[in-house]
Amino acid sequence: MSEEVNKPAEQAAEATVPLTEGVYGKLLKENGIASTPLPESIGIETLAVQASALPAAMKFLREKAKLNFLVAVSGVDSPDTFDSVYHLWSFSKLDELVVKVRVPKSSLPADKLPEVPSLSNYWQTADWHERETYDLIGIRYIGHRYLRRILNPWDWEGHPLRRDYKQPVDALNDKHPVSMR
Amino acid sequence: MTSIQSACVRKVKQKKVAIDTQVPEFKTDEMIINLGPQHPSTHGVLRLILTLDGEVVKHTECVIGHLHRAQEWQGQNRTWFQYQALIDRVDYLSGMFTSWALCAAAEKIDGAVVPERAEYLRVLVAELNRISSHLLWLGTYLIDLGALYGFPFYPFIEREKILTFFEEVAGQRMMYNYIRIGGVQRDPKASWFKKVEEFTKQFAQRIDEYEAIVTENPIFLKRTKDVGILNKEVAMAYGVTGPTLRASGVAYDLRRFKPYSVYPKLEFTVPVYNKHGDTWDRYMARVQEMRESNEIIKQVLDMLPEGEIMTKKQNAGLRVKAGEGFAAVESPRGVLGCYIISNGSDKAYRFKWRNPSFSNLSVLPPLLENRPLSDIMAIFGSLDIIIPDVDR
Amino acid sequence: MIPNAAEIRKLSVLSFSWLTVIFVAVWGVCWLVGILIPALLANSSFDFARAVSEICEAITPLLAVMVFIPINAMFMVLMERRVLALFTRRNGPNRVGPDGALQTAADAIKLLLKEDITPTGADAAMFTLAPIIFFAPSIFGAIPLLAAVTNNNKLFQIADLPTGIFFVLAASSIPVVGIVMGGWASNNKYSLMGGLRSAAQAISYEIPLVLSIITICLLAGTLDVVSIAKQQSGGILNWNILGGGALTGLNKAIAAFISSAGPPIAEVIKTYYPYGWLSLIGVIVLCLCTIILFGIYLIGACAEINRIPFDLPEAESELVSGYNTEYSGIKFAIFFLAEFTNLFIVSTIAVVMFLGGGDCPLPTWLNPLSYPAVYIPLTNILSPILSLLIDKIHLINPDTFWAALWVILKTYSLVFFAILVRGTLPRFRIDQLMDFGWKRLVPITLVIFVLVAFARGVINFHV
Repeated sequence: MSEEVNKPAEQAAEATVPLTEGVYGKLLKENGIASTPLPESIGIETLAVQASALPAAMKFLREKAKLNFLVAVSGVDSPDTFDSVYHLWSFSKLDELVVKVRVPKSSLPADKLPEVPSLSNYWQTADWHERETYDLIGIRYIGHRYLRRILNPWDWEGHPLRRDYKQPVDALNDKHPVSMR
Repeated sequence: MTSIQSACVRKVKQKKVAIDTQVPEFKTDEMIINLGPQHPSTHGVLRLILTLDGEVVKHTECVIGHLHRAQEWQGQNRTWFQYQALIDRVDYLSGMFTSWALCAAAEKIDGAVVPERAEYLRVLVAELNRISSHLLWLGTYLIDLGALYGFPFYPFIEREKILTFFEEVAGQRMMYNYIRIGGVQRDPKASWFKKVEEFTKQFAQRIDEYEAIVTENPIFLKRTKDVGILNKEVAMAYGVTGPTLRASGVAYDLRRFKPYSVYPKLEFTVPVYNKHGDTWDRYMARVQEMRESNEIIKQVLDMLPEGEIMTKKQNAGLRVKAGEGFAAVESPRGVLGCYIISNGSDKAYRFKWRNPSFSNLSVLPPLLENRPLSDIMAIFGSLDIIIPDVDR
Repeated sequence: MIPNAAEIRKLSVLSFSWLTVIFVAVWGVCWLVGILIPALLANSSFDFARAVSEICEAITPLLAVMVFIPINAMFMVLMERRVLALFTRRNGPNRVGPDGALQTAADAIKLLLKEDITPTGADAAMFTLAPIIFFAPSIFGAIPLLAAVTNNNKLFQIADLPTGIFFVLAASSIPVVGIVMGGWASNNKYSLMGGLRSAAQAISYEIPLVLSIITICLLAGTLDVVSIAKQQSGGILNWNILGGGALTGLNKAIAAFISSAGPPIAEVIKTYYPYGWLSLIGVIVLCLCTIILFGIYLIGACAEINRIPFDLPEAESELVSGYNTEYSGIKFAIFFLAEFTNLFIVSTIAVVMFLGGGDCPLPTWLNPLSYPAVYIPLTNILSPILSLLIDKIHLINPDTFWAALWVILKTYSLVFFAILVRGTLPRFRIDQLMDFGWKRLVPITLVIFVLVAFARGVINFHV
């Protein structure tokens, strides 16, 4: 896969379109939590917060802003950053919000997993979703009580959905001596 | 008290003390039992590590992933056209919905327009699929409760008819690949609609029959009433969705709450049971949902417009514009979402599936706490988990 | 129009042919060993030959049971599968042999040829002993019943037990030991739980079961199964399920009304019901009590032999297969065999204790064969043909034949009912099961026992 194809398109868009703060961005700012607006994903407000500000932001959004449905926690291995993406819906209103925590790859030492504070202690949905993200993307959620691999076997090595992931055993190669096929 | 009496008392007391010291301490131990991965009623390969005190469950750990097929990885390494055909396998009982979630997200990013007839056809097949999925749940749930031989096969008779409809329209009984990005794959013949209409006419009667057998059965009531009570707050905190959430009294149905496709034009109610949130309510929610789906199908058959069914060319050159987005549909098990990051090439940059079974299963450990072993199946079955949907 | 009439017809043909095979095989063996060989040796002057003939006569009942149990269990398994298929609009096994008739025979051969596995860490001796202990009592239990169900045929009187029903009940409570042993010896947690559940369940359901039987014994005034069966002869009104003989007077009165020859009706009624209105109340109470007792007996029996809705020891969806999870091959086959034999035996006990044993359900005054105008010409026609078989070589014994036929029909009706229950109900939870047993069934049976003890005072039984 070439470098060009590997790049998500939003990188280009970010540079050109001037971004304005959305409703929830302003709300967070009023309550003293800094956030950076990101380009909207199909009409839905998207913002990035610092890793350290995440628990406070989520607590505010869940309790005060009534975005009380955490649909999913996804990890994305973007070209420059590791993203932990939170899709927030509400059980009582139609608003949606996407919150991202972006950990730049350049700031990470080799062999160290990106670290994001865990939400699992007060938002149970996050428990399994964070375990899954840790398993597949390799984002370490600080403060998670039981951060163990969930979809892969417990002794699996590496994080399969990373772009640089190499399979330890090439299961697709028929000629390989340890192939499972 | 005379001296003799007091002597007697003293003697008795001494004797009692002597006996007490001789009684050995009665030790009990907790038993750890592995339920699964190969177990008749874990609906596939789920492993529960149970800590039992006698027959009472003290702690549960769900070990999932035995059926992990790396669906997300495959999505990132296959073209859009290939992946469309693959994704039905995620939830094999309601393949239409996984296709629909993928297509909804891709169409939102792409800005593709879906013809109205295609939207109606989607609703039609999806509601049929919802009925077939609930019918299978009904049968297997009774198996979980121990009615192994009689009733469980009854719903399969109706399900068989629905699968035959799907076979005729999509060429497959379970892996349909019918809903495609930009529309639907094929326009059914007029005779097909007639058959579906006949089915809907007699289906309500069949549900009455099932209810006559099951709903008021005293043993069934004993096994399901006040068992596995799921509070509103707990359900919402765990992100539980679908009939399981609605049985706890939250009227959260995407078809009504965040209407997509042509659902705003259709008339139906969302069955909510605000009594206990126990397994019986979950059963009732699903049964009522089947009735509603039947009504929706009747309306769709009346309202179906003529016209095109596909706007995008279905071949290996299928592309989706660059962008990212999340879209969800209301599957028989809950909110089935798909988060896509596309970079405009023939493959997506990132797929993330939000599967209802995954979140619904995560609420199992608190539900099982301090329940007897026999209730595990009554509770687990009532959540309607599909293991491939959990493990992907 | 019945949608699956064809399947019902097939099943009927299948049952008829299988039952014929069972009948012919069992009676053939008994006739050969119990009548033919002794008859041939009777005139011999050797002591040895006389000894052989005596041994042959003595082992006939045992042989009858040993031949009957495996063939019968095979048919019951097949019947269960086909009937369940019928309930659920499937076809059931229909490939092996003509219309699936040999399916269970094939299954049995497969099980016997399979490797016999003893799991690691299992207590091998106990593990082997468990199926034997589970199975053996069903043979003991069947033997006293044999005379009762064959109209007290001389061939089948192995021991004249005055406490017959007690012996049967005692024997039928032993299998639970086998289950607990099997569960404990398997070194498997599921098996252990199945075994423990089974023990708890058997203890709690034995009590209503035995109490219901004892109440019937109280009415009958004897513990001997043969005399209990004999007391009930003469049609459905004499059976224990309807008042335990309280309606005998009514039966006699109707007979007297129809045939003018006998004693006057008033005298008959005076003999049986001496206290007028009080006797009427007694009759009604007794009829209700015995019908309830029959229901309680069926429930207790279902729990005793671990059938749905009381199949907690096996509980497929919870305990995989309960106490027999680790068994395979011939040991599993023995468990399986014993399970179905137990079902048959508890049904037979119900037939003997409640449903009149080998008695025709029609009352004598309704039965055309009991009128001389019908049976004399019939006898005249049939006697030249059958006299050779009946009187000379004793190949046919009409009394035993009719008794066995009715017993088989009644027993299989009860088996069919058990299958129907299996095809309908979900399973209880263990605490609900205990609750039902101790808080409902035991008090009801105790109350009924007291009621019956009082009510039987105002009626004359079995005069």
